[in-house]
Amino acid sequence: MERGKLYLIEAASGTGKSSLCSYLIGYRRDYQGKICFDNRDISAFRTSEWTTLRQHSLSHVFQELRLFPELTAWENVQIKNQLTRHKSDAEITSWFEVLGIADKRDAQLALMSFGQQQRVAMIRALCQPFDFLLADEPVSHLDDDNSRVMGELMLAEARRQGAAVVVTSIGHHMDLPYDKVFKL
Amino acid sequence: MKLIWKLLRRHVSIGQFVGFFFANLLGMLIVLLSLQFYEDIIPALSGEDGVMKNTYIIISKHIAAISGIKGEAQTFSDADICELETQSFTRRVGVFTASQYQVYGSLSMGGTGMGTDMFFESVPDAFVDVKWPAHLPADEVPIILPRSYLVLYNFGFAQTKNLPRLSEGVVSMIAMDIRLRGEGGVERLLKGRVVGFSTRLNTVLVPESFMLESNKELAPHAKAKPTRLIVEVANPADDAIASYIQAKGYELEDNSLDAGRATYFLKIVAAIVMAVGLLISALSFYILMLSIYLLVQKNADKLQNLRLIGYSPARVSLPYQLLTVGMNALVLVLALVLVFWIRGHYLERLWQMFPTLQEGSTSMTILLGVALFVLVSFFNIIAIRRKIATL
Repeated sequence: MERGKLYLIEAASGTGKSSLCSYLIGYRRDYQGKICFDNRDISAFRTSEWTTLRQHSLSHVFQELRLFPELTAWENVQIKNQLTRHKSDAEITSWFEVLGIADKRDAQLALMSFGQQQRVAMIRALCQPFDFLLADEPVSHLDDDNSRVMGELMLAEARRQGAAVVVTSIGHHMDLPYDKVFKL
Repeated sequence: MKLIWKLLRRHVSIGQFVGFFFANLLGMLIVLLSLQFYEDIIPALSGEDGVMKNTYIIISKHIAAISGIKGEAQTFSDADICELETQSFTRRVGVFTASQYQVYGSLSMGGTGMGTDMFFESVPDAFVDVKWPAHLPADEVPIILPRSYLVLYNFGFAQTKNLPRLSEGVVSMIAMDIRLRGEGGVERLLKGRVVGFSTRLNTVLVPESFMLESNKELAPHAKAKPTRLIVEVANPADDAIASYIQAKGYELEDNSLDAGRATYFLKIVAAIVMAVGLLISALSFYILMLSIYLLVQKNADKLQNLRLIGYSPARVSLPYQLLTVGMNALVLVLALVLVFWIRGHYLERLWQMFPTLQEGSTSMTILLGVALFVLVSFFNIIAIRRKIATL
């Protein structure tokens, strides 16, 4: 996979899409074979290297979102942006508006629907510099309109950064000009 | 940081932390108080104005039954003296010089006379606690007797024989006839005058200068070997003295090392109390670590999510580290305040017993408190960091 490209990994549930993402983000290591970033085997990366990668090169929209239900939608995004200082409050606010959750900005996350939470997770994932964005079933709970808007937003940010996007799907996926589609 | 704390303060158990706080406070208080009390009480045992003012000890070699019969000389060699001089507790060493000639003293009062064989000894003038008179006629020798002799005469001998009791003043007025007989029958007649009574030196003492001169004159070939040494020590409460004396098999003339034993005992007691305090501190540290581990475990998901969105282990550890270090600092400050408060109370009592007592230094206590704080905090920080890194 290369920077600047758009990839789709399509497979039935339970065939390892999320596991692959976990391997790529350095969360799990229970795989055989070899995964290399710039020809370096990632199994040799140290904790500090993973931290740097997750701040500057790899962003991830988790299938299970991994948001914090105790915080508000805004705080969930801020907890990332305060770390990377990548986006202004105005930019983030405009994304909330584009994705149709501006009114939920200060709502406690636990009280939001999964579809709304998916959009918060996407905004959070975009609040950092990245070479690769892993979006693990990002629109599983979104209707087609919202799915299209989110796809455009994601792609625009990726293009701006010259980054690659890897989207996984079980069938219902964002309609985007994919460079390559993997079917598992 | 605010957001992180908002997340991670979940599941913080107030009960557990209060438990740790008081356990740690108690441990710290016991450790610091025992040290401070030790520092304060030591001057009472060893200082200039302390219970033990005596800074002189008199050492002889142990007289065993066998060596006494065999006639082995229980004398100190130059090497013995040199070694003693190099000990850390020694300020200076004086040698008892004995007369190498015969001494006969007689007293005649109103026609009746009495006489006895006796001996003289001398020590360097600096060790004598009674001043020698500046000028005496050439045929008179000043003598210092042990105060105990006078007591023995007045309350023992005179009492039972219906003899008059003598005051120090009366004794000083009596002039004894002294006859010295040296090698080859050389004789010298002198008047002896008691010029004082010593509590320190248990012998018939004459000035060092007289002793050297008379030995040279009357026994030019005899070599005086010291059987007793007088040592001025820096601090008689120093337990190193007792250890040294015991190790060398020497004997002490009086109980001048009681302070040393008391100090040694006090050291042991202080060490035991301090060990108990340290044990409580260690247990409280254990409680804290268990609470923190539990907290980390309960918040494991949140910590893991923070790590996955790019937070370093150091950064997510920070809130818990600050929490523990903050508590440790609070414990330190509170423990020191309590120590000084309690100290104020016991110092009043001590001053009633020892009005001129100088209070001990507090710097060691503060230093130990800070050292404990740094040590415990350091281990807290490392343990939290490691625990979080394993998630």
